[in-house]
Amino acid sequence: MNDIILKADNIIKYFYEPEKFQVLKGISFEVKKGEFLALVGKSGCGKSTLMYVLSTMDTDYEGSLTIKDTVLTKQSQNELAAFRNENIGFVFQFHYLLPEFSALENVMIPALKLKRYSRAEIEEKAYKNLEMLGLKDQALKRVTKLSGGQQQRVAIARALINDPAVIMGDEPTGNLDTANTQIVFDIFRELARERNQTIIAVTHDDDFAKNCDRIIEMKDGQMV
Amino acid sequence: MFSSINNRISQVHLTSDVKQTIVAMLGVTFGISMYIFMTGFMSGVNDTQADLAFSALAHVRIYNDGPADNSNIARKVFPDDIINVRNAKVIKYTDGIKNSTTILSTLAKQKDITGYTSQVNINVFFKNAGNKVNGIVSGVDVLNEDKVYGSSKHMIQGNWNELKYRSDGLFVGVELARILGLKMNDNVNILTSDGVSHNYKVIGIFRTDVSSVDKTKAYVAINAARQLLGVNQDYVTDIQIDMVDYNNTQPLIDNIKSLIPYKVESWQMGNQQLVAGSSLRDTIARAVSLTILLVAGFGIYNIMNMTINQKIREIAILKAMGFSGSDVTKIFLTQAIIIGILGGCVGMVLGYIISRLVNRVKFEIAGMYHLPMTYYPHNYLLAFAFGLITTFIAGYLPAHKASKIDPVSILRG
Repeated sequence: MNDIILKADNIIKYFYEPEKFQVLKGISFEVKKGEFLALVGKSGCGKSTLMYVLSTMDTDYEGSLTIKDTVLTKQSQNELAAFRNENIGFVFQFHYLLPEFSALENVMIPALKLKRYSRAEIEEKAYKNLEMLGLKDQALKRVTKLSGGQQQRVAIARALINDPAVIMGDEPTGNLDTANTQIVFDIFRELARERNQTIIAVTHDDDFAKNCDRIIEMKDGQMV
Repeated sequence: MFSSINNRISQVHLTSDVKQTIVAMLGVTFGISMYIFMTGFMSGVNDTQADLAFSALAHVRIYNDGPADNSNIARKVFPDDIINVRNAKVIKYTDGIKNSTTILSTLAKQKDITGYTSQVNINVFFKNAGNKVNGIVSGVDVLNEDKVYGSSKHMIQGNWNELKYRSDGLFVGVELARILGLKMNDNVNILTSDGVSHNYKVIGIFRTDVSSVDKTKAYVAINAARQLLGVNQDYVTDIQIDMVDYNNTQPLIDNIKSLIPYKVESWQMGNQQLVAGSSLRDTIARAVSLTILLVAGFGIYNIMNMTINQKIREIAILKAMGFSGSDVTKIFLTQAIIIGILGGCVGMVLGYIISRLVNRVKFEIAGMYHLPMTYYPHNYLLAFAFGLITTFIAGYLPAHKASKIDPVSILRG
């Protein structure tokens, strides 16, 4: 079994607006399974850009990206969408849940899309995830009725539903107060340690980064 | 799969903002109901027009059109020379149709014919006391005439079939009766162009609502007319034919033209203005209703566009979670199609109700009582199909746009 779950090789990316500008200048690194990795750096250093490349949503780059032994560079949008569905979970700075659905449905949607399990099994698993994150009572509420911290935990439950290879967070605690930041961090910590879940989080919160397994610091499009 | 997650999302989108869904639906409903109403009304008008026209007009008519102009025969031999024939005349050797029995047996073999009748039409003077009016006496085959023209339903006094048994009997048009001062059982004298005079008894009065007919026409039995002219039993002046589909007369004409040595003329040839009128009305109805559907389509397009702009973040999230572009298209196209189907069904019902209401509006001209209306199922199906096509196109364009949304640019904010 290969222990390396994600491999980035010489990733180069340009922005063309307002003028041509090299954001990523040849980034190469590997992430092991179960690693809790923080991407840090100043605003505009390219850490978020790098994460969106790693997330497979941004395909306009040079170099190669491999996740779970699958080379993702140059794959079609539809193939990448299917791959994301199965292998990548997202937690964004602004929870980005679907506001018209209940917390439970939000958690279930990626699994219903994947169709690996029956609806009943998915529902059971979604309940379990929400319970683990202390949200069992809120499951049937519309997500707009939940607090910011609760919403972020729903987002984490959703990210976990398909047992992804990697969870990616773009400032997952950026919009939360200290108490909730601590809760979210603890959840990530626990997921990495106990479930051997790989997590890559972009953050500018030093306390958050300090407690990760590994920190990748970026400056002007390069790793420091 | 109907219970797929895509459909579930479509359903939630439709039901979470019911007001907007209904507004979009009403656009389709309005378009389709107007389409149904317009086409129903226009085809009602056309049918009424046809009924009126065909109460005095057969679909195909056979008659003697007179001989070709051979008055200057010398010109045919010396086309380049100047030839002057003074007082040349076209001489009519034959009058009317002599061998009607063979023609009728030819017609009996044709399909697509619902009925035919022979007539002996004579230009005459009607005389009653001092009043003198010129007009036409039509000697008719009583049973077939009724079959082709539905003449019996125009009778306001007397019984159509009685004409069969009364060789001295005559039906007059209501206006003609008024001008001549005729009532039932009065006598009227008829004078032909050959100077033959004969007395008839008025045994019926009819009204066709075509004033030129009501003012000038009278019916007698066909044999009475032959007696008046002094001709044999095979003589007729016109053979009138009714067909299954009056818009499709050409095949029959092509078929029988070579078999019959007389002029065979369809109603379209003789009445271009009727054809033009009805096809212009059809065109107007189609143009107006398609415009309405187009406007409804724009309504849906706008609402779908608005919805997608409102939900642009959610679309980005769906894509991040692994929904493909075609999933997104499906989600929004499903919404448009559901709006189209619901709006279409309501539109058909509403169109029917509007048609019923308009059908009750009083309109008492030319034998009508209410505004005419038709309820052909094919118009309803066509309206529904057009509505669906419109919503499909109006929904597909924004849905396709939604599928092209780049999640990175939305999620990075």
